[in-house]
Amino acid sequence: MRKFLIWVAFLGSAYVVQSAFLPLIAYHGIGPDLLLLIVVSFSFLRGSRMGIFMGFMVGLLQDLATGTFFGMDIFSKMLVGACCGAFSNRVFKEQFFLPIFSSLAATVMNYLILAVVVLLLGYRFNPILHLQMFLLPMLCYNVLLAWPMHLLVHWICDQTAEKK
Amino acid sequence: MSRVRRDRNSDRKVWVLVFVVISVFCIIFFAARGRFTVPFSSRAATTVLAPFQKITSWVGSQVNYVTSNIWEIVTVHQQNKMLRSEVEQLRNQNLQASEFAAENERLRALLGYKQSVTQFDLVAARVIGREMATWTSMIIIDRGTRDGVDKDMAVMTEKGLVGTVVEASPNSAKVQLLLDPRSAVGTLVQRPESRVAGIVEGNPSDPMMPRMINIPRNSDVVEGDTIVTSGFGGIYPKGLIVGTVGDVQNDSGGLLKIAILEPAVDFQKLEDVAVIVASREAPPAPLTPPQQTPGTETPVGDNAAAGAEP
Repeated sequence: MRKFLIWVAFLGSAYVVQSAFLPLIAYHGIGPDLLLLIVVSFSFLRGSRMGIFMGFMVGLLQDLATGTFFGMDIFSKMLVGACCGAFSNRVFKEQFFLPIFSSLAATVMNYLILAVVVLLLGYRFNPILHLQMFLLPMLCYNVLLAWPMHLLVHWICDQTAEKK
Repeated sequence: MSRVRRDRNSDRKVWVLVFVVISVFCIIFFAARGRFTVPFSSRAATTVLAPFQKITSWVGSQVNYVTSNIWEIVTVHQQNKMLRSEVEQLRNQNLQASEFAAENERLRALLGYKQSVTQFDLVAARVIGREMATWTSMIIIDRGTRDGVDKDMAVMTEKGLVGTVVEASPNSAKVQLLLDPRSAVGTLVQRPESRVAGIVEGNPSDPMMPRMINIPRNSDVVEGDTIVTSGFGGIYPKGLIVGTVGDVQNDSGGLLKIAILEPAVDFQKLEDVAVIVASREAPPAPLTPPQQTPGTETPVGDNAAAGAEP
């Protein structure tokens, strides 16, 4: 229970920082997605099953707190958690480049999933313009913050790991 | 034997995952069509997070203040030189500005600006959170039902319309911005000879430039026209400035036109807003008698009454 509360507090803090502090450094309203980075790192460290669960929890928090299309973040983050978790046994978790490259891939994947959902909901947009205005700034922010977030998630995972 | 069991377990997990993913996918569409809502949980999440967002937002603004001050100190020498040259220019401009200010004051009084504002009861609010998702545009403000803020209330700044409250908890509220693709605002062209009506909605292609749709092809909407709320629909009071027309394009169907708007409000720098908690119709303009041709004047007042007697 204590471990669960630690994670809840961590996710809540990450969301608060993302929504209330990081807009100060946002570029045209686009900033880093800390919660996505948490899902990616956590999935690599704890595997697919826990990654999906973390994706669900993070997505639920984001959907409830922000008022976006309900279920959209749950859906995308669960899939991102599942994909990253599937590779958890095949990568070196201490590698510096792991969070960097995985954050790039996860940001693109998350963006594409959301784009498809938005298109299926009947909203049309110019993909080229959208890529330039949203995906590129978000990629830059996420790559910059991927390593610190990975270290933080790693540290909390160690703190909350079962002691043998 | 154990391998068979493991395979079955693995299959079951995959099926459970597929079921969950499909369920969530369906929930998105039900929620988007308004057939599925989670009001209590959503409100609870906002209520719990709002105080922390408020504190973090305050800390952020302080950090911003301190860093900008430090930056000013670093660049003070360079600034000093520039400022000295500017002082001379500004002295001249100040004299001119005083004239303009006096003129502005007179014009404001003339236009009845203050009178038009008194038709609204406003509650000032600070923006404490902002959704940075790419697909929707929402902000969180630090006023809620305790302050009289409720769902479907319009939110504005002194420059124009910001959006509408979509959810209110006791200490905070979620505001759907004009830029959100889900928002739809009934609007009019302010120009007296035009008054063309249309709907302003968020533009997913360029979220900083909302668009006005459903404009008839033969209408005379032109670049630079000011767009104001029409008051249709009951959420937005009539006459709030939405933006100006930046470009007019033909709709792909060929029967209608689309106007791309430059919003009146700078959504990048949205810090303080006002929620319209009550609005009344603007008092009607006093009637003035029409100008009469000399020699054919009709008597007014007591004389008129007397003249009407048989």
